[in-house]
Amino acid sequence: MGGTFTDFVVVTQGAGGEVDTRRHKTASTPHDPSEAVEHGLRDLAADGVDLTDVDAVVHGTTIGLNAIIQRSGARVSFVTSLGYRDLLGIARARLPESFNLHASAGVPLVPRERVLEVDARLSSDGTLLRHPSGAQLDELAQEVLATAPEAVALSLVEGFTAPEVERSLAAALEARLPDIPVVSAAGTWPEIREYERSLIAVLEAHIKPLMAQYYVRLRTRLENVGLSAPVLISASNGGALSLDYATQHPLETVLSGPASGVTAAALTIPRANVLTFDMGGTSSDMSVVVDRSPVLTTRTMLGQLPLMMPVVDVSAIGSGGGSMITAGGTKDATTVQVGPRSAGAVPGPVCYGQGGRTPTITDSYLSTGVLDPAGFLGGAMQLDYAAADAALADTARASGLAHATFGDDREAAGLAAEYVLDVATVQMATSLRTILAERGHEPTDFTLVPFGGAGPTHAALLADELGIDEVLVPASAATFCALGAAVAPLRRDLAYSIRRDLDDRVVTRAATVLTELVGEGIDWLRTSGGDPDRARLRLSADMRYQGQAYELTVDLSEHDVGNQEQLLPGLSALREAFHAEHERVHGFRDSSADIELGTLRLAVIHAATEARITAEVAEPGTRTPLPSAHRSVRTRGRWEEAPVYRSSALLGSAAVNGPAVIDVSDSTVLLPAGWSCSAGKDGTLRLTKENRA
Amino acid sequence: MSTGIARDIVTLKLRAASEEMCMTLQRTSRSLYVKETADFCCAIADTDGRFVAYPRNIGVSGFVGLNVKPAVEAAAESGPLRPGDVIITNDPYSTQGLATHLPDIQMIRPYFDGEEIVAYGWCFIHCSDIGGRVPSSISPTNDSLYSEGLQIPPVRIIREGSIDRDIERLVLRNTRTPEANRGDFHAMFAALETGSRRTAEILERYGRSTLVDTHGAVIEETAERARDALRVLADGTYRFVDFLDHDGVSSLPVRISVTITLRDGAMDIDFTGTDPQVDSAFNVASQGTVHAWLTTRVLALVGTLDPEVHLNAGLIRDVTVNAPWGSLVNAERPAAVGVRHASSSRVNDTLSGALIQAAEQIVPAASSGLVVPVVLSEQRPGGNVVQVLEPMVGGMGARYGADGVDGRDSGISNLSNNPVETVEAELSTTILRYALRPNSGGPGRWRGGTGLELVFEVHAKASLLTRGLERRVFRPWGYAGGRPGAQSELVINEGTEHEQRFAAPDVVPVSSGDVVTLRTAGAGGYGHPFTRDPRAVLTDVDSGLVSTSAAYRDYGVVIVEGDIDQEATRSLRAQQDQMPGTGFDLGEESERWQAVFPIDVYDEFVLALMERATAERSALRGRVLSDVVAQLPEQFPSVGAPAETITRARSTFQDAVARLRPSEARL
Repeated sequence: MGGTFTDFVVVTQGAGGEVDTRRHKTASTPHDPSEAVEHGLRDLAADGVDLTDVDAVVHGTTIGLNAIIQRSGARVSFVTSLGYRDLLGIARARLPESFNLHASAGVPLVPRERVLEVDARLSSDGTLLRHPSGAQLDELAQEVLATAPEAVALSLVEGFTAPEVERSLAAALEARLPDIPVVSAAGTWPEIREYERSLIAVLEAHIKPLMAQYYVRLRTRLENVGLSAPVLISASNGGALSLDYATQHPLETVLSGPASGVTAAALTIPRANVLTFDMGGTSSDMSVVVDRSPVLTTRTMLGQLPLMMPVVDVSAIGSGGGSMITAGGTKDATTVQVGPRSAGAVPGPVCYGQGGRTPTITDSYLSTGVLDPAGFLGGAMQLDYAAADAALADTARASGLAHATFGDDREAAGLAAEYVLDVATVQMATSLRTILAERGHEPTDFTLVPFGGAGPTHAALLADELGIDEVLVPASAATFCALGAAVAPLRRDLAYSIRRDLDDRVVTRAATVLTELVGEGIDWLRTSGGDPDRARLRLSADMRYQGQAYELTVDLSEHDVGNQEQLLPGLSALREAFHAEHERVHGFRDSSADIELGTLRLAVIHAATEARITAEVAEPGTRTPLPSAHRSVRTRGRWEEAPVYRSSALLGSAAVNGPAVIDVSDSTVLLPAGWSCSAGKDGTLRLTKENRA
Repeated sequence: MSTGIARDIVTLKLRAASEEMCMTLQRTSRSLYVKETADFCCAIADTDGRFVAYPRNIGVSGFVGLNVKPAVEAAAESGPLRPGDVIITNDPYSTQGLATHLPDIQMIRPYFDGEEIVAYGWCFIHCSDIGGRVPSSISPTNDSLYSEGLQIPPVRIIREGSIDRDIERLVLRNTRTPEANRGDFHAMFAALETGSRRTAEILERYGRSTLVDTHGAVIEETAERARDALRVLADGTYRFVDFLDHDGVSSLPVRISVTITLRDGAMDIDFTGTDPQVDSAFNVASQGTVHAWLTTRVLALVGTLDPEVHLNAGLIRDVTVNAPWGSLVNAERPAAVGVRHASSSRVNDTLSGALIQAAEQIVPAASSGLVVPVVLSEQRPGGNVVQVLEPMVGGMGARYGADGVDGRDSGISNLSNNPVETVEAELSTTILRYALRPNSGGPGRWRGGTGLELVFEVHAKASLLTRGLERRVFRPWGYAGGRPGAQSELVINEGTEHEQRFAAPDVVPVSSGDVVTLRTAGAGGYGHPFTRDPRAVLTDVDSGLVSTSAAYRDYGVVIVEGDIDQEATRSLRAQQDQMPGTGFDLGEESERWQAVFPIDVYDEFVLALMERATAERSALRGRVLSDVVAQLPEQFPSVGAPAETITRARSTFQDAVARLRPSEARL
C-alpha cells in the first residue's frame, strides 16, 4: 500500500501447478488506509475472485514508517539507567553535516523532560549492579505518569547482557501503569550498543498503539468481505510475519515497501546476482541480490535515526521522475542541475498540467519522444508535451545550451532534455558505483532489474553507463513490490550479543545462546502457522579483529531445522570464516590477531510459497514483430524515427533492435541504439547489449 | 556533444572518481585511523596542483584547499615525472603545508594523456606510526620535528609502475608498525590506480580539452559561488584575539590574533599579533599558504551559506592569509607540529570572533572549542590496554535566532562517540554518567550549547590522559549580551576527602575505586539572557539543563512550583536597567588577563619578539611573562587579584616591553 495507490496481486495456483497472477490497483484512502483494502477486495470479488477460497492474505503498509517520519505516533516517555538521561539526546554525537555552522542535531524523539532515570544497572558480564526496590518502582511509576505518556520505552545500560532483568522490570512498571504499554529494549532486541538498542524500544513504543488499532480495523475490513484466511504482514527483512506477531513488533515491518521489491527480484528473476533499480517519482533506490538472496544490512537510517535491526539493504541513488531541473553556473561555466528538489505528485512535472512550472525528468522523457503524450499510465492521463517543451527550452536558453543550436522550442527542448537524461544517468550511475564499491561489488557482475514507474524507462541508459549488458524488465513492473510481498516467505531475524574473545569457552557459550535462539525461532514459526520441517536456519555472526571498531557480519551456515546442531561451526572454522570474509571485504587477513565474536544472528526462513513464479526469459523466435506506431525519438544528439511496440507484440517474435520504444502495461521501456529486446511468455522483457558475449 | 556541455558530466565523474578512490583506500587499508575515524582522503588535482574533485561524505573534508604542486615540483627536481610514478612524502616543510604532520603519509600520482600530465591523483592516510619519540608518533610534548618521526621529502616510491624497494625498506625500517604501513601503502597505490583508471575513461570519452576545461570551470564556478556567499559579510576590518590555556610545556597562555579585512566577498586573514611558535607540538606549518588548519571556519561558513557548493580549490580562491613566519600559525622548521589541530580549534574561535562582527546574524558565538579523547591506559599482566573511553567535545555556540547544539560540535572533527557498552567490554571501568552538563551553556537570549559530563569509576590501576582539555581557564565567549560558557573541569573523587582537581593535566595516575569526573566547557550565548523568552527558560528548567536558581540569576526568570511567576519575573528583569546588547563577553578570566596584558601592549610585545631570531623568542617570551605572572596569585587569572596588584603587574609588563623595543625603534 502506497500513498497514492493500493496495489493488489492475486496469485492462483491451478490444479496442474500452473501459476497465474492477477493485478489490481485502487486509490488509497489516507484517512483510513484499510478502507482502500476493502474497496479493492470488493472490486476483485466482483471480478470473480472467490474470497472464501483464499489461503492467505499478505499485507504491507507504510503507516508505521510515515508515523516515524512525521513523528505522529504515540507520545513516548523513556526510562533508562541513572546517569544516562541524554542517551537519546547525545545519540552517536556526530552532526549530520561538518561544514555547517547552523547544523542542528534534530529534535529527539523523546524530549529530555520525558526521560526518567531509574537506579538499575548491569555490568558488562551480566552482573546485576543496581536494582530498584518496589517502593522506588512505585515512585518511578508516579514520575512516569506525570509525563503523560501513551507508551513507555525502557532501556538499561548493559541491559542486553541479561534481557530477562529488563523484561521483568518492564513488566513490573507496566503493572503499575494504567493501560500504558512498556517496551523493553533488551527484551525486544538484545544487541550491544545502548543508543541504537534504546531507539528500537522508543520507535516500537511510538508506533505500537497506532499499528495495533490499524490491524484491528484491517481485520474487521477483511471479515466484512468474508475473508477469513490467515493474515501475514510484510517485513523489512524481505519476509512476512503473522498478524499477531506484527502487532507486537511493528518496528520489524516499517521498511517492508522497498524490501518487497527486492524479494520479488530474488524470488522471481532467474539470475543469481541482480541489481534492483526502483525509480519512482521523487527518488530512485537500488539494492543487490547475491546468490538469489537479498542482502541485508544492520546500518540503515530512518531519517536521522539509525535502525540496527536487519533490513534489506536499499540505498537511495538520486533522482526520480519528478526531480526538478535547474539551470545554474556562472556566465562562463553553465550547468544544468538535476535534483535534489522534486516536484512530487503535486504540482508534479510540467507536462501533468497541474501547475508545475519547473521541468523534471519526466518532462525530459516526453520531450525526447520516449513517452507518448496520449499513452501515459495506459492512457489514463494526457500529457502536455508543448508545455514540457517550452519549459525545457527555457532551461536550454538559461543555461546557454541553446547557443549550440538554433531553431524552435522543440529543438531546444530536445537538446536540454537529452542532456538532462545524460546528467541524471551519470548521477545515478556514479552514486550506484560508489555504493557497490563500498560493499565490494562490481556492477558488471549483475543483471539490472528495473521496476517502479520510471525504472523500465531509464534502465537501459543506466545499464549502458555502468557497463551492465543485461536488463530484465519484469512484467507489470509497477506492482512488482506487491508481487514480492505476496510471495515472501515467513521470516524472522533474531540476534543476541556475546561480545567476547573467540575461544573454546565462547564457542560453548555461543552454542547455548544459539540453542535458545533456535528454540525461540521455531516457537515463533509454529505460532505463525509455519511448518518447521519446511524452514531453513541461517546463522551469521558479527566478528572483528581485536581493536577494530567495526565488525563484519560473516555468513556461517544454513541448515534445515532437523540439522540445527550442525549450525555452529567449530572454533577453527569460525576463525577461518572470519579471516576469509575480512580478506574478501578489506583485502587482507591477519592470521596472528585475536578475533572477537560480537553478535550471533539467526534467520528463520520458511520455504517460499509453492506457487513458484519465475520470470520467463525465452529465446527469441523468428517472426518479425509489427510496430504499433513510429515516434520521433531523440538519442545521440539527433532525432530518429523509432518504432514503438506493444510488449504483447514481442511475444514469441524475433528480438527487436534499438532505438525503439516498448509500451508495457504501466510503463514505457526505452531501448537505445546498441540494445536489443525480446519478450518472455509472461511479458518479461529481456534487454541485452549487442556484442554481449 | 561540445566540450562545454560535457562539463557537468565530467564534474560528476571526477567527484565520483574521488569517492571511489576513498572506498578503495578505506577497504584495503590496515590503519585504525582510516577505518575508525576516517582520517584519510583522496582527491584529483589539476595541473596547477589545486583540488578539482574532492569527496563530499567520506574522508577528511577540511583539506580541500591544500595544493600538491610544491610536492610535485620537489620530486621532479631529480628528473621529470613519468607515467606510473608515485610520489610519497610526509614533510610539512618541503611540501609547503600539503602534509600537516608526519603521520599523514601523502601520495601523489601524475595522470598522463600520452606524454603530458593532465591531472594528479592524491591521497593521504594517517598511518599507525612513523617513528619518533613515542608510539604512534604524536605527543604534545615533542619539541621538534625530529622527535616526531621520519621526515620523508617528496620522492618517488614507484617509478614507472615499479616499486622502489630501497625507498620502501628505508621508510618501513623507521616505523614501529611496518606491516600495517606496508598495507597502507598498497591501499594508497590501489586508490591512485582507481583514480587513474577513471581519469583515463574520461579522457577516452570526452578528450583532454574537455577534462582541462572542466578543471578550470569547476574551480571558477565554485569560487564565484563562495564569493557570492561571503558577500553577505559587511566590508571592513575586524580584529579578535583569543587564547589557548597553555602551550603544552608551561602554564603560560598562548595568544592567537586575527584581523580580517573584507572587500566585496574577498577575505584577507592576517595573523599578525599571534604568539611565536611554541616549544611543543601545537604549531601549524602553514608555510605562507592559505592553509587548511587556518581556514576551516571559513570553509564552514561558505558551506553554511551555500550548502550545495562543490568542494574544490575554488572555495579559497578569494581568501588570502598572512601568517607571520615563525609564529604559532606559520612555524619554521624544525618546529614540532603533531598536535596542530589543538591550535586549529582556537584559530576557529578567533576567526569566528572576527567574522561575527561582519555578520552578527549569521556567525555563532564561540563553540566549546575542544576535542578531548579521554584515554585510559590500563596496566594488565600481558601489557597495557590503551583505549579511548569517549572523544569528548562541548557544544556549539548560540547564534541570532537559535540556541547552540548541546553536547555536539562538528567544528574540528565530526567524530562519533563510542557505545558505553563496547567501552565497558574492553576496559575495567564502569561509566556512571555520560550526559549533558547542566548550567554550562552560556546564558543568552539564545543559549549556548552545553558541555558534556563523563563520570567513570576505574577498577584497575591505570593512567588517564585528557589531552586537549582546553577552555579550563579562558571561556568560550558570548556575543551581543550573551554570556560565556562554563569552563572545563577534571576532578578525581569529587565531593570526597580524596578530591583532587587538576590544573594542567597531561597524564594522571588513577587506581581502583577512583571516580573520575570530566566536564567539558559550554559554548557561548547570544543576546542578553534577560531578553530570553521565559517559556524557553522554563523548558530548559523542565528538562534540567538550567537550574531554577540559574534561571533566576542568569535569566531573571522566577520559577515557582514548576511555573513562571510572571509578576516577579517582570520586576526582576526590570531591575537590570543596563542591558549590554553588543560586543563580546569574554568572561572574567580573559578580562583579568588582558587587564595585565593589554591588547596593544601585547601587540608590541609580539612585534618585539618577532624581531629576534626564531630560536630566542620562546625563552624570552617565557622569561618576560613569568616575571609578570610571578607577581599575581597562583591561580590567576582563574582567580582575581587586587586592583593594585594588577596595576603593578601591568606596569612590569609595559616596562619589559619598552625595554625590548626602545621607543626610537618603534617609529
